[in-house]
Amino acid sequence: MDDPIVSLIDVRAVYEGERHATLNGLSLSVAQGEQVAITGPNGAGKTTILEVINGLLPITSGSVRVLGQPVTSGSHRLRSEIAYVPQNLFFDPETPFIVRDVVLAARFGKIGRWRLPGARDRDIVQAALIAVGISAWAGRPVGRLSGGQQRKVLLARALAQEARLLLLDEPTANLDPNAKEEVAELVGQVRAELAATSIVVSHESGPLMTASDRVVDIDAGRIVSTRAGTAGRVPVAS
Amino acid sequence: MFGLPWHIVLPTLLGSLLVGAVCSAVGTLVVRMNLSSLGFAMSHAAFAGAALGLMISLVDPMWTAIAFALATAAVLGPVADASRLHVDTIVGATFPLTMALGLIFIHKTPSSGVGSGALSLLWGSVLGVTMSQVLVLAVVAGLLAIILVLYGKEFFALLLDRKMATASGIDARKAFYILLFLVAIVVAVSLRVTGGLLIYALMILPASAAFQWAYDIKKVLIVAPLLGIASATLGFLLSLGADLPIGASIALACSAIFLGSILLSPKKRRGRRLKSF
Repeated sequence: MDDPIVSLIDVRAVYEGERHATLNGLSLSVAQGEQVAITGPNGAGKTTILEVINGLLPITSGSVRVLGQPVTSGSHRLRSEIAYVPQNLFFDPETPFIVRDVVLAARFGKIGRWRLPGARDRDIVQAALIAVGISAWAGRPVGRLSGGQQRKVLLARALAQEARLLLLDEPTANLDPNAKEEVAELVGQVRAELAATSIVVSHESGPLMTASDRVVDIDAGRIVSTRAGTAGRVPVAS
Repeated sequence: MFGLPWHIVLPTLLGSLLVGAVCSAVGTLVVRMNLSSLGFAMSHAAFAGAALGLMISLVDPMWTAIAFALATAAVLGPVADASRLHVDTIVGATFPLTMALGLIFIHKTPSSGVGSGALSLLWGSVLGVTMSQVLVLAVVAGLLAIILVLYGKEFFALLLDRKMATASGIDARKAFYILLFLVAIVVAVSLRVTGGLLIYALMILPASAAFQWAYDIKKVLIVAPLLGIASATLGFLLSLGADLPIGASIALACSAIFLGSILLSPKKRRGRRLKSF
């Protein structure tokens, strides 16, 4: 069997200034191409799992490996293979960046040092904008878009990055019902289009949860149960 | 020009234009990152270094200004990281230190406090710029342009969102440290023209004004140096015409351009958001 894309073994993580660990000896393995959903109540540690996977939060003990490599705060090259759509990132109205450039910036880690984006990068960005249905907004200031529109921009970034691992943190949170439905559908499309391994976090049940191979319930920084999602392409790990 | 021969006026005019361009270009990055106090701290560090150079009288004060500003840049980032404090807080802590050192060095300088060299460090000097200093400014401007192009995408990602930059594979910490060093060098080499007390205005105000005219950072990075050049030119003419200190004259011109940009900003005429989702 292939090595897992993501491997967390007995991971403990504590946010600075907090006495209690947010992750308490959590172990999770995600196979190549698997679509995993993580759910649980607020404060259960869902976002923390994504932050330790891409090295934004250092762990205090245990081990985190992604694509076979250990993750550290200096794993810049590795991070360029991980597309991360953070929770509640909204650009303020004065943000001086247009949509096309926000999406293009997702490729900068891949391009490498001292090199400029080329025609291929711009083509990939254009394709991502079209795939997500926002090519008409390419020249608009990102901060002037609504919350749902900005979420689409972040999904276009995930596509443009051409990552091997996709991490989505509450992609439909704080959106009105119409936008929620549209973004949820788009998330499914992005997951299918990238054909990458993906982990989506949500505290709500819904299509994002069920359209996964596996749903992992966590509470107090530990996995409490694992069940099959409706996609069910990968057997549920015991 | 204004009764002064060109060979005296020209170096300061050229120096003012270059200082206007480089300070405003770097200022765009500083303003976008909400680090306006950084320009303030660097200018006082450079002032302290230049005052030391004046006191020891062995080297051009510009070189000691560069050394002090670079040392400050080398300390700010790592200390902010190690202390887990915002860099703005560390900047606030370094300011009294560098200002105190600068004043002590001036006090210890022969004919301290009244010497034209010491005063020109504070206020700038119309007649204090030489062609060799203009050449140094031109080299710094060229290097800055090269770094902004070659390292531009890292700065670009950093200005968009530091956490997202890190998450997508950019070494945001390194980009930030490079920015600190750029600010240090630009401030130090600009000191002779505008003076230590007012260079801050040239770094912050044209860049802030440029943000009133565009929503696209690429356009802001073009508009800001143009406004910086305009401020420096206006300030230079005001200084010569009204016999005022050049640093103060440039600061007045910067303020006028900033206020004019706020009043005339096309952003005020636009709606807050585009069509809803």
